[in-house]
Amino acid sequence: MSMDKLEQMLSSHFGYSGFRGGQKEIVQKIMQGKNVLGILATGGGKSITYQLPALLLPGVTVVVSPLISLMVDQVQRIRQRRTISAAYINSALDPTETRKLLTEIDQGRYRLIYISPEKLQQATILQRLKRRGVSLLAIDEAHCISQWGHDFRVDYLRLPDAVQQLGNPPVLAVTATATQHVRTEICRLFHIDEADVIAQSVNRPNIAFDLIEVSSEAQKREHVLEAVKSLQGPGIVYGRTRQTVDQLAFACMEEGVLRAQAYHAGMSAMERVLIQEQFLSGELDVIFATNAFGMGIDKPDIRYVLHYHFPGSLEEYAQEVGRIGRDGKPGYAGLYLNPEDAAIHQYMLANEYPVYEEVFRFVQLLATSSGHISALELAAMAGLPDESLDMLFFYAEQHGLVSQLTKTKDQYRYRLEKVDVSGAAMQISRTLEELKRTRKNKLMQMKSWLHEKDCLRQALSFYFEGQRATEYTAQCCSCCGLDRSFYEQQPFTQIQKKPDHWDLHGALRRLLPVRKEKEAITIE
Amino acid sequence: MERLSEQENLFVQMIALNGMKSLANERTLQAFYHILRGRRANQTLQDVHLFRLYPYYRLFPHLLREQWEEILQQLIGQGYIREKDLDRNKTTFVLTDEGEKWVSQGWTTYGVDQWLGLFHQHPWVNGHLQTFWLRLHLMVQTLSCLLEGNPSFYPVVQDRQIQSFVKSQLHDPTHRKRWMDGVFAELYKALEVLPSDIQPLLVKQFSGAHQTALTMQQLAYQEKLPPSLIRVKWRFGVASVMIQVKETPDLYPLLAALLPEEQSGGSQMSSSAQETYRLLQKQIPIEKIAQIRGITRNTVEDHLVDIAFHEPAWDASPYLTDEARRQILETSARLHTRRLRLIREALDDRYSYLQIRLALAIGEARR
Ligand SMILES: Nc1ncnc2c1ncn2[C@@H]1O[C@H](COP(=O)(O)OP(=O)(O)OP(=O)(O)O)[C@@H](O)[C@H]1O
Ligand SMILES: [Mg+2]
Ligand SMILES: [Zn+2]
Repeated sequence: MSMDKLEQMLSSHFGYSGFRGGQKEIVQKIMQGKNVLGILATGGGKSITYQLPALLLPGVTVVVSPLISLMVDQVQRIRQRRTISAAYINSALDPTETRKLLTEIDQGRYRLIYISPEKLQQATILQRLKRRGVSLLAIDEAHCISQWGHDFRVDYLRLPDAVQQLGNPPVLAVTATATQHVRTEICRLFHIDEADVIAQSVNRPNIAFDLIEVSSEAQKREHVLEAVKSLQGPGIVYGRTRQTVDQLAFACMEEGVLRAQAYHAGMSAMERVLIQEQFLSGELDVIFATNAFGMGIDKPDIRYVLHYHFPGSLEEYAQEVGRIGRDGKPGYAGLYLNPEDAAIHQYMLANEYPVYEEVFRFVQLLATSSGHISALELAAMAGLPDESLDMLFFYAEQHGLVSQLTKTKDQYRYRLEKVDVSGAAMQISRTLEELKRTRKNKLMQMKSWLHEKDCLRQALSFYFEGQRATEYTAQCCSCCGLDRSFYEQQPFTQIQKKPDHWDLHGALRRLLPVRKEKEAITIE
Repeated sequence: MERLSEQENLFVQMIALNGMKSLANERTLQAFYHILRGRRANQTLQDVHLFRLYPYYRLFPHLLREQWEEILQQLIGQGYIREKDLDRNKTTFVLTDEGEKWVSQGWTTYGVDQWLGLFHQHPWVNGHLQTFWLRLHLMVQTLSCLLEGNPSFYPVVQDRQIQSFVKSQLHDPTHRKRWMDGVFAELYKALEVLPSDIQPLLVKQFSGAHQTALTMQQLAYQEKLPPSLIRVKWRFGVASVMIQVKETPDLYPLLAALLPEEQSGGSQMSSSAQETYRLLQKQIPIEKIAQIRGITRNTVEDHLVDIAFHEPAWDASPYLTDEARRQILETSARLHTRRLRLIREALDDRYSYLQIRLALAIGEARR
């Protein structure tokens, strides 16, 4: 494949005039049939590295993606643009829809198929994909495979098996946030040669890093509300709890200066979509969000991200500030630090992993049920949060307590292997302890970054790459000296509220106009 | 003007107090929380029927437990309710005179009855409101984009079932044409009769080719009213549309297709209870059903009570004789209570909790 051809495709199908750093190298290696690991900065354009090959390769390209919402979102947007025929397979589809989709895949209707990791374990799906011929298996957010990463997902660890069952197609793993440790693990699990790791610096030169110390909650609140009013938007403010973001948004809306909104997992799915759409279309100035917001958000002109609470790891921090300035223009990352903030993490950490007694109860329940149990009941009887069940089952399988584990809607089925209840419980909780230590460790590294004296940018890149990136475009960081007014809006613009007269007929007509096209229209 | 957040607090407290007052002395302080959240548990659904709390079911589906605790603390702190022991480790409450006075005042100020009354007269609406609204919403967005000649868009309603429903409605070209040509007129007709402060609450919550919908909260800021009051008024609006459509379907041939299909007997039984019902009809004993379905006996018993409520045709006599039912209902009436333990003790433990619950359910369903 000549290089011109690749560039041509890039421009004709995606409308980009040239590749960004690392993209072309990755695509070329894929076209040579290599297994590749691509480490590109947040917003560096990882999607292109599998979407472009999908157009060129004979079979299908399968993309593993960690979040259903992320996958649905990407496919819907690809369909909107109509560049590639794409579909997704995940648990949101009902059996009829899945069957229909698999038939269409057989008929060769799709080039790009997004799939959730747990679906890529189902024998029927693996068989059908294999029969169709998988030319590339792309693994997005590949750091999720590492038990020592910040976002470990058990289903990812089962992916190497799936690769084998698909007949060992070439694998492309991509991520923005892999430490050396995680990088080595990804390479080992997917048989990627060191020579086929394409790593761009994850430093984002256009982002300036600011750390602001405050002495009380009230002061922090005041500072943050002041900042969102003066900074050039649009922006995101991250907080760790729903109440925090609700209250901040409320306060901000009440002043009526900004178009502000809260966003968190406690809101209905529809509200969340609406707010995301309003944000994307520029109808909002600031979003106050928990970390539920932002994964996969691709808005080029986000000008600032503020942290009301610091995240639990530098990886999360990098992902969150990474949403700033994807258009390459300058942007501002401000983190507010109150000595009391550490307590929130202590609390979360303490509650995230089941303790021995809980694990013991879980194991005992498994041992006394007859090979199947409903998730809800199990959670209720063992007194565990639903989210921890997948993890517990995974380790129960890893430690040989059960085998042939399958999960349907809300039933787990398994074969019980041995019944040394306390032995198994002990092993599982030891593993959990280890995970917890990893998280504690990540938290410590986050905290030590907060006490960095020399340069925040350099310290951040050192954590990921072992090298100190120094490059920046506008300003560096508060250690190096920073002038925030550079990121403030000038002149300050206040939104004009137009008083509106209610007119039902007019409002409905705007929504449902008299039909423009007479010919038949097809909808997807 | 009082700050909106304070108004919101007071409004929610008032809704809570007015709704929960019929549960005084009878239920725990948490029972009404489950009703507001719209929990599908049988106990909750039965309370909704028993105490006629239809307007409140699922009124605030996103209310957090902590928020509820705060509401209770404030009601107690202001002396509107007082805690009182119910059973060994359960706490109920009584409504004080001040509470009674405060709530009836607020109720009139906000005119809440005019927005809630509808749900008493048409209890069927509640269970279907959400589905109807989502279907209508996606239908409007789709048609808006089709009419603009821009058929690929990002659907605000992500629910798969709703999406395939709307797709199926628009699949056939003649039917699609009918929708495109007729939706404006039907919607206009249905909305025109609503009060003019209700109309925008619906219309502004639609998305279309040139409009991103506003959320309830954003509307609240525009209208300078507590978000929860906006929600109450919006629900009234949607319910009114549903009722018009249901009562005169020939005037609304298109919108009528959006009303969710009635389940057998107009019931709101959970699908899990329906599954149990199916097995019961095959004469399969409770134990066996629990085993087949991988659920506990308790859950199956819950289902039985649910079935007793919703399926007048079901024969409960294998579990409850007529005589037993009569005695239980009599005792409940005599003691003015629906509390199981009190009834059971008064009848010298002659009947199981299941039997008492069945009797109350059947008695209530036939009222
Ligand atoms: N070669 C290119 N030229 C111009 N724009 C590009 C190019 N490649 C990607 N982009 C744009 O960059 C943005 C980010 O791309 P993408 O979502 O793939 O990033 P990502 O690396 O996956 O980010 P994240 O870390 O958030 O997952 C998109 O708007 C995309 O269209
Ligand atoms: Mg990405
Ligand atoms: Zn610096």
